[in-house]
Amino acid sequence: MPKLIKLVGAPSDTSFGADWAEDVFIHVADEDPIPEGDVILSLARFQAEGEILLSNSRRVGVRIEPDQEVEALAYDLPRLSVVALAFPKYRDGRAYTSARLLRERLGFTGEIRAVGDVLQEQAGFMVRCGFDAFEPNDDATPEAWVKAAHRFRHVYQRAADNRQVAFEERAV
Amino acid sequence: MKAVTANRLIDGEVVFWKAGAWVDGFGDAELFDEGQDADVEAAVAKGKAQPTVIVDPYPIDLVTVEGEGLAPVSYRERIRALGPSNEPTHGKQAVGGEVIEALRHAHGAARSTGRVDLIRRK
Amino acid sequence: MYQYDVIDREFLTDRSNEFRHQVARRLAGDLTEDQFKPLRLMNGLYLQLHAYMLRVAIPYGALNSRQARRLAWVARTYDKNYGHMTTRQNIQFNWIKLRDAPDILDALAEVDLHAIQTSGNCIRNTTADPYAGATAEEVDDPRVWSEVIRQWSTLHPEFSFLPRKFKIAITGALTDRAAVKVHDIGLILRKGRDGEIGFEVIVGGGQGRTPYVGPTIKSYLPADRLLSYIEAVLRVYNRHGRRDNIYKARIKILVAALGAEEFGRQVEEEWGKISAERADLPPAELARIRAAFAQTNFETLPAVSESFEAARAASPALQRFVRNNVKPHKQPGYAIVEVSLKAIGQTPGDATAEQLDVIADLAERYSLDDLRVTHAQNLVLPHVKLDDLAAVHAALDAAQLATANIDLASDIIACPGLDYCALANARAIPIAQDIAKKFADPDRAEKVGELKIKISGCINACGHHHVAHIGILGVDKKGEEFYQLSLGGSGAEDASIGKILGPGLSADKVAPAIDSLVDRYLSIRTGEERFLDTYRRVGLEPFKEAVYAQAD
Repeated sequence: MPKLIKLVGAPSDTSFGADWAEDVFIHVADEDPIPEGDVILSLARFQAEGEILLSNSRRVGVRIEPDQEVEALAYDLPRLSVVALAFPKYRDGRAYTSARLLRERLGFTGEIRAVGDVLQEQAGFMVRCGFDAFEPNDDATPEAWVKAAHRFRHVYQRAADNRQVAFEERAV
Repeated sequence: MKAVTANRLIDGEVVFWKAGAWVDGFGDAELFDEGQDADVEAAVAKGKAQPTVIVDPYPIDLVTVEGEGLAPVSYRERIRALGPSNEPTHGKQAVGGEVIEALRHAHGAARSTGRVDLIRRK
Repeated sequence: MYQYDVIDREFLTDRSNEFRHQVARRLAGDLTEDQFKPLRLMNGLYLQLHAYMLRVAIPYGALNSRQARRLAWVARTYDKNYGHMTTRQNIQFNWIKLRDAPDILDALAEVDLHAIQTSGNCIRNTTADPYAGATAEEVDDPRVWSEVIRQWSTLHPEFSFLPRKFKIAITGALTDRAAVKVHDIGLILRKGRDGEIGFEVIVGGGQGRTPYVGPTIKSYLPADRLLSYIEAVLRVYNRHGRRDNIYKARIKILVAALGAEEFGRQVEEEWGKISAERADLPPAELARIRAAFAQTNFETLPAVSESFEAARAASPALQRFVRNNVKPHKQPGYAIVEVSLKAIGQTPGDATAEQLDVIADLAERYSLDDLRVTHAQNLVLPHVKLDDLAAVHAALDAAQLATANIDLASDIIACPGLDYCALANARAIPIAQDIAKKFADPDRAEKVGELKIKISGCINACGHHHVAHIGILGVDKKGEEFYQLSLGGSGAEDASIGKILGPGLSADKVAPAIDSLVDRYLSIRTGEERFLDTYRRVGLEPFKEAVYAQAD
C-alpha cells in the first residue's frame, strides 16, 4: 500500500495542513479481479464495470492517465469518491489541467489524488490546481509537503484553491 | 586512447577522472588504452554514483597531436578542455603551457565523438 | 516603469528562498539531477560547457539604472566582469557557480530583478518592442500587456510543466521590432472598429528545427479578454501538445498538425468555457499597471534643438551616429538612441561591467532612468533630449559604445555558440567577428545599408538565423565546423523564413562568402533596395552563383 498524504483544511486558507492518511482504496490493475472494499479503477474498467460497483454502495475511484479527458467522468463525478490523476513522469503537466477542470469546471468535490512520479517540489502547484491527496514518490512527509505548499505568500493568478490573488490583496 | 570527463556540480567546472578523483586539468586526466574499455565503463559508473560531486560523466576519444601531446578528437571537447576561443584569458587555457598548446594545435580531427547526442534536451 | 510593490517583492524573496532550499537538497543528494534540473532551469540556471550560465530576466527588455548597476556588480562579483544580451531581451552570465546562485538571486531581488522562468517548459519572458512608450508608431504601450502577462504567468500552477518552452512577444506598432510572427504567441496591438484596443493573435510561429511564420488565429481579440484567451491557448497546448519527442513538442507543431482553422476552433471552444470574470484582469488592476507606464515627465521642448544642430554640423562622427543609431521619438525635442554592443571585433551582445555602469549613468541622467535591451542584442536609451545627444554620444564613445552600425552588416546577432553552449554544434562568435571586420569601414557598411546577418551555432536557432537577411547556421560535418547560409529571412512585420543557399562552407570561407554576396547585391541593386529587397526581386540564383561558382 503506497503512503498517502491528505490535506487538512481548505487550500484557500493559507494555514492548511496535511497528515498521513490510511489509504483504504485499492488500486486495481485492469487484468486483476476486483477485490472487496473501496477500489480505484482505470477509466476503461470503470466505464465497463463501474455502474455495478457503485450500485453495491462501494466507494469507487477512477484513475485518469494524462492522455485521457477528465470530461469523460462528468456525469459520474457526483458518485465518485476519488479521481486519481497520474503523473507518469513528474514533468508531464497534463494532470494539472485535469485537476483544475475537475474542481473548477466540473464541480468535483471528492478527493483528487496525485499518483505516479509525485514529488514534494511540485506540492505548491498541485495544491493550487485542486489536488488534496498525494501518493509521494519521494521521501516526503506531510510536514515537508505542507512546507513546500506554503512557500509563497502571494499568488498572481486564480486557480482551483481559490486563494486570494495579488490584485485582490492590492484592492483592499 | 580515452579519458572520462564530467562537470563538477558545485561550480560547473569541466573535470576529468583520475584514479577515483576529479581533476581540473586535461593534462592530469587518467588515460585509458584501447583494451581498457571495462575500466572506462567502471570509471563512468563510479562517476554516476557520485551525484553530489559531478554531473553527467562520459568517455571521450583522444588523439595524438604530432610532436606535442594528446588532445580530444572532438573540437567540442577541446573547447571544454581549453575555454572559449573568443577570450583567451578565460577558462583553463589561461594558465598556458604545453598541454594547452597541444590542445590549441589539434585540429582536422576525423570525427567528433564522445558526445554525438548533443541536442538531447533544452 | 512598473514599480514592484510589497507583494511583488515578497514574491521574489519567497522565490529565492525556495531556490536556496532546492539547491541545498540537491547538494545533499535529496534531489537527483533529473529532479533538480527543471527547478534550476525555472530559475534561469543552465549547466553549460565551462560553468553554469545564469539568465536573468529583463521583463520586456526594460531596466532602470539601479538594476543596470546591480547587473554590473553581479558581473564583477560573481562572473568575469561582463554580461551578454540575448535575443529575448534578457542578460546572461556565463561563469556562474551553483553555490553562488542563491546569493545572486537574493542580490537581484533587492533591485526587483529575478531569473524566474527564463528557462524550463513554462511561459518565458514576454518580450516587447524596445521602443515602447517612445515611438509614435504604437497604438498602445505593449509593456502594459507584457507586465500583465508576466504577473499572470509567474508560477502559473497549471502551466509550469508544458510540453516545451513557451514564448510570447508583443508589438504596439505595425513596425515589428519584437519578431512577434516567429513566437509561440505573437500579439499585435490594434485599434478595433469601435476605437477600443485589441490584439491580433498569432499562434504557432517559431524557429528551431521547423521554422514557421505563425498564422493569425484570431484577427481581433478585445484587450480586456487577453488573459482568458491566452489561458485557452495554453490549455489546448498543455493537453494536446506532443510529449513524445522534444523536437515536435512546441505549439507550432500542434498548430501545423491541426491546421490553423481547427486549432483556432479548439481554442474558441475552450475559451467559451472560461469565465471572463474569473480569468480576465479586473479593470482596476489593469488601470494600476497602465498608470505605472504613463510617462508624465517629458519636458515641453521645441522640435528642433539649436545646440544639437550645431554640434551635429561640426562632427561627422555625430552625424554618422545619428544617421544609424538615433530614431524619431513621439515627443518633440526627444530621440530614441540605440547603443550598439557590436563593436568591430568584439563579442556581439556583450557589455563589460564598466560599460553597464556607464550606460546606467547615462540612462539615469539622460533617459528618464529608462534603459532597454533589444532582441538584436543591443541596448536603447529611449528618452534622450536632442539637447543632450552630443553629450550622450561623447560618453558612449569614450566607453566604446558608440559604434554607428545599427541594422548594418556588422550589427550581427550571434548566439554564444560552441564557445559557451552545451547544445551547440559550432562556434558563432568568431564567425561574427570575421564578418564584422569585413565591414569595419563605416562608409562601406553604410553604402551596403540595412543588412541583418544572424548566426546560430545549432539548429535551436537562438541566433534567429531563420529570420535573417543572411542567416548562418553552424553544423558539425565530419568533426569540422561548417556553416550553412540562407537568404531572405525576416523577423519584422514582413516575416519570412530564409532559404538555404547551398552546401555548407568551412569556417574560413564564411566571411569571404558574405563579401561575395554583398558585392553581388551592390552590383544588381536598383534604387533604394535593401539587400532583402534585392533578394526578393531576383531570387537565390544570382547569389548562389556569387558564392559557389568559383572553383573550390
